[in-house]
Amino acid sequence: MPLYGALDLTANPAALPTLAHLDTEAWTLPKAEMLQLLMEVPRTSTESLLPKAMHPALPSYVILAVTKYSNSPVGPFNLAMLRLGSRAGAHPRGFLLGAVASTEAAAKELRGRWGFPVEAGEVKFVRRHDRIMGTVKKGGRTILDGALVDPQPVSGTDVQYINWVTAANAPLDGKTQPMLIQVDPKYTFYKAERGKPQVSTFDAAAWNADGVTLADPIVGTCSTVDTDLPRIRFVMDPLKPVFQGTRRIRESRADE
Amino acid sequence: MKFGLFYEISIPRPWTPEKERTVYNNCLEQVKLADELGFEHVWAVEHHFLEEYSHCSAPELFLTACAVLTKRIRVGHGIVVCVPEFNHPIKIAERTATLDILSAGRLEVGTGRSATWTELGGFGANPDTTKKSWDEFVRCLPRMWMQETFSYQGEFWSMPERTILPKPYQKPHPPMWVAVTSPGTEIDAADRGLGSLGLSFAGFGEQEKKISDYRRRIQSCEPVGAFVNEQVATTNFLFCHEDEKTGVEMGQKLGNTFNYLATQLISTREVYSSPSYQSLGLLPALRRAATGPDASEQQTEGMAYGDPARIIRAVKKWESLGVDCINFILNANEVVPQEQVMASLRLFAKEVMPHFARKPAQGSPAPVSPANVSVAAGE
Repeated sequence: MPLYGALDLTANPAALPTLAHLDTEAWTLPKAEMLQLLMEVPRTSTESLLPKAMHPALPSYVILAVTKYSNSPVGPFNLAMLRLGSRAGAHPRGFLLGAVASTEAAAKELRGRWGFPVEAGEVKFVRRHDRIMGTVKKGGRTILDGALVDPQPVSGTDVQYINWVTAANAPLDGKTQPMLIQVDPKYTFYKAERGKPQVSTFDAAAWNADGVTLADPIVGTCSTVDTDLPRIRFVMDPLKPVFQGTRRIRESRADE
Repeated sequence: MKFGLFYEISIPRPWTPEKERTVYNNCLEQVKLADELGFEHVWAVEHHFLEEYSHCSAPELFLTACAVLTKRIRVGHGIVVCVPEFNHPIKIAERTATLDILSAGRLEVGTGRSATWTELGGFGANPDTTKKSWDEFVRCLPRMWMQETFSYQGEFWSMPERTILPKPYQKPHPPMWVAVTSPGTEIDAADRGLGSLGLSFAGFGEQEKKISDYRRRIQSCEPVGAFVNEQVATTNFLFCHEDEKTGVEMGQKLGNTFNYLATQLISTREVYSSPSYQSLGLLPALRRAATGPDASEQQTEGMAYGDPARIIRAVKKWESLGVDCINFILNANEVVPQEQVMASLRLFAKEVMPHFARKPAQGSPAPVSPANVSVAAGE
């Protein structure tokens, strides 16, 4: 059967974000601009980063995302994320390795509500006609400088965003414990573009991805979407295969 | 109704030389028995880099071994990836003609374009152009087989005048098919007079519509070859056992394992936004069906596992929808012991096959005049 990740999240629970409860309220995030750069990475560098419950994507790849949220319950903010392509059972997922939010308020809420491994820093989203750029600084040091080069319009139906998985401590069955949390935003597309991904600076360690080196580019996309951060519906045991360790804690939304 | 075998050649970890060899030998033993039992086809896919799911990267070699070991079963190259980074069209024409000769005219040629980023990215192919290159290839192949000399100037490949050798044993050329997974590809097949080689496990309703659309559309086709190959094949799992419960349980285990492995593939659409890959192909249905290796819920309707009576009912239903041929997957990751695969084939041949009298496929092969053979522009 398929390979599994090697990361034991229960070994160091103090390193994970902690949620007070799993009753996170949804956020509506209209007209977000999402830049995503997909790059293949060496498989050996990612085995130790993926929880034991999940399967690696083959080939291994990462998603570098920089999103400009112009409107949110905590005001405008930009968010940069590094996700590792993977599988939760049969389903493609992006396991969230690291994130940087442009405001302290956003970082605090994302960490406490959905378990994002996020810190505050400088996150810039810059749109030009020849490229769309995302740059991230933490502690005054550039940890990501990337761009979608030569953006060309495509249809929103050409673009697929996979759901995310975060790792956090949260109370369940009377005990606060490490778990995997599915984050599954919805998207309504207004505009989508595609181009070549280009990354000139990537500090893997700063994204909790020590040892990961970017290899072959796949594709870059940038979309303008109405999106959200929904209520938590599924959590997973970090050590069991997800087809054995998944718990539904809330019914699906009416549109699902 | 005709019956065939369909091989992905799935090999579980850990991979050792002996394990790879054992699985290949198991497949060959199954094919030899199927030939003796009256199965009509053996198909083998072309896949690359798909760990555990398919180690069938050189199907022409496997099929050559099948042809040598058998007397009458037809060998299906299904499918040849018609993307220049994978296969040069001259090589496709040459090796298919050779296989047709070695099999004494028993070759079927399936065509397609690959659906996974794992493969397309591995070969450095551009996902945006795979439909176009496939279209060019399928229009060239019949002429490469039939014409004494051939030259071509196209978008994806070109060649000066040469004699492509050898020529196929079958005249005018082997039957041609296209793999149908994405919605709408059945229309591509019909428009070109190609057989529809269904590779998805959709339920009756969806398949009925596809078949109906295909049958209607092919009546006004512009065939790319010298004849119209109006045939609809579909894929299924086979496990036949005297005891229904045992048959269903093993069949579900087979189906779950196959589906779970398939869902690990990185579909092109998952990572590469392209208008050429708007569909996830067969993956959505598989993901619904594959909640895990220990899933217990009912899989897609119409599966050919259980006791003979149950399988007869399923096959009768497919027949009533207009399916001409069902190709069976017999194993995945070797979850079904070889002796049980062989027993299942024997029982199926003894108890199920007699209920389905053979008949010529509708309209196949229907000769067309050379003037109607579609020729790519620029030649």
